[in-house]
Amino acid sequence: MSTDVATAPTGPGPLRTPTRNSRETAIQGVFYGAIALFAALIVFGAIDTHGFLTMTNVRAILSSVAFVGMVAVGTALIMISGNLFSLAVGSTAAAAAMVFLALLPHGIVLAFVVTLLMGVVVGAIQGFLVGGIGANTIIVTIGAAGLIQGVALWASKGATILPPKGDTSFTWLNGHIFTFAVPIYILFGTVVVLDQYLRRSRFGRQLKLVGENIEAARAAGIRTAWVVIGAFCIAGFLFAFAGLELGAFNESGSLLIEGTQTYDAIAAAVVGGIAITGGRGSVWQALGGAILIAMISDILLLRGYSEGIQILVKGVVVFAVVVLARLNRMRAES
Amino acid sequence: MSSRLPEVLRFRGAALRPFLILAVFAIAFALLPQYASGEVGTANITDVFTSFAGIGLVSLALGLTMIIGEYDLSVSSTYLLGGMLAVKTGGSAPALGAAIAVAAGLLVGFVQGWVIAKLRMSSIPVTLGGFISLLGLVYVLSNSKSINYKDIKFTLKLNEPIATVFTERSLIAIGIFLVIAAVFAFTWLGRDVRAIGSDRKAARASGVRVDRIVIGTFMASASISAFSGALLAYSLAYATPNRTVAPLVFATTAALLGGVSLSGGRGNPLGIGCGVLCLALLNEALAVTGSAAYVTYLVTGGLLLVVVIVDAPHLLRWWRTTKAAENLRLGFSGSAAAPAGAGGER
Repeated sequence: MSTDVATAPTGPGPLRTPTRNSRETAIQGVFYGAIALFAALIVFGAIDTHGFLTMTNVRAILSSVAFVGMVAVGTALIMISGNLFSLAVGSTAAAAAMVFLALLPHGIVLAFVVTLLMGVVVGAIQGFLVGGIGANTIIVTIGAAGLIQGVALWASKGATILPPKGDTSFTWLNGHIFTFAVPIYILFGTVVVLDQYLRRSRFGRQLKLVGENIEAARAAGIRTAWVVIGAFCIAGFLFAFAGLELGAFNESGSLLIEGTQTYDAIAAAVVGGIAITGGRGSVWQALGGAILIAMISDILLLRGYSEGIQILVKGVVVFAVVVLARLNRMRAES
Repeated sequence: MSSRLPEVLRFRGAALRPFLILAVFAIAFALLPQYASGEVGTANITDVFTSFAGIGLVSLALGLTMIIGEYDLSVSSTYLLGGMLAVKTGGSAPALGAAIAVAAGLLVGFVQGWVIAKLRMSSIPVTLGGFISLLGLVYVLSNSKSINYKDIKFTLKLNEPIATVFTERSLIAIGIFLVIAAVFAFTWLGRDVRAIGSDRKAARASGVRVDRIVIGTFMASASISAFSGALLAYSLAYATPNRTVAPLVFATTAALLGGVSLSGGRGNPLGIGCGVLCLALLNEALAVTGSAAYVTYLVTGGLLLVVVIVDAPHLLRWWRTTKAAENLRLGFSGSAAAPAGAGGER
């Protein structure tokens, strides 16, 4: 890097001062250095961890990707729309698991429809508060999480919801096709469809513009409120879908099912390179982030690290990624 | 002349509002026995101050960052971390444990504040990273279990009643509130902090040391919430790792009720104190009437949504019109977008 600094004044135009240039180079160095370090750590961890490169483990990773990926894609939509992230991911998913299992006696079709509809409605209300009247996303989603938990506790009387005895109508959700779990195919299908939709539809383009510059979007006559509501609706649908799958997978539903879903979703979207400031990113990136987060969790788990270390590492990764993304952006702007 | 008066002496409508809201809550609480089963007595007032001591300082910590137009998501983790550190290190000397908790808070606040100020980043992504990492750290320190505090004598001393309605812990919390309120009212700091919250560029242009105050506010926020966690852990005689965002819900609601705005530039410590008392009264009312746990969730979550809707910048606009794009031009570039839009000041 020192050679870069030394040759810097001759490189770019005469208007640029050497100090500024060396700083830029330094930032760039830090940025790519960190990415390389991160990649090296994962590769090393993967090779060095006993049992990582086995088919069983790959299947295990993909199974957790199936859940994390779903909520990460939902989070990605909210992030692209310029509204940061939802802190109600886990609560929505947990409530969805409970609703789905509780409604199974009335038939799986009804259970599916009502659960997903609940996700959409809950998302729409939050979307209206955020996009319509400009309320802060973080606060709205924290409040929504509290309300959802309250309603779930009230409706379930604090009990864990179990599927009806002998009901096998939902077990196909836990089945395997060509050695991989069914939710994986659902996730990939969702990503492909959603990606095409966002690329080809007017909504997809409006979503990015609203996230990039809401004033410009408004001046262009886009109904920004509806775009944000749309993003939250799809996100709510995906959170509920993930919860439904989790409920089917665990064959029980309670608020405890939420686990670290919320943080995993945000970490996956951020690590996938979706701009937390909005406007940039794709659902494929969210999927990539989810795979990375699942790999990190898996490596730590296989090496016998505690739950605390797993959360800590995800937190540090989120912190590092947002700071590096900002540094990179500053370099691009300067 | 009036502009020369200390802030605390200039009572205007907005500054009075938290006190009025508190009066309404207090009257409603006093009237409670007439409309619901349950008794109200001095023991309830003691309870109110106890819950004030438990979570009031976290509201103050978060409120301070909200006044400068930021939002410190990590307070709920520093709160847990402070309690855990105090219980683990303060076994023989409670003051040492509290000092370690505060020192950890100062360090956390400095790192987050420095990144936010120097890299011109929005506080939410930065403190989200802090929030998750510190939560993990709390689980690591505690090995995912509750840790008991050994010095029971000290715990009893903190909970001993003083002047019927107070305890040592509630007096400590009230004392910290009053000190920070005094700093706000009688020094240039309060004015500068609010200036940063309303218009950071203008504040910078008029010579306010913006970066220092932003970093200082985050250090204050993290150390106050860490201390608050230590105080709580000492008085309960245990610290426990907990993933809930309940402290965040409480603290945000209290700050918003107390006249702080998410867009920054408004509010003061006394107002936040009023907001905390409102919620403490509400919790006590729920306890007196023997309400189930879910009612507390519903009431606190619902109340937070109500205050955030009232605080929302475009509420009136939504009512008035949704028509022409030109009419919809609004102050989104300014403070309103700062908490939500990220990127901070340009």
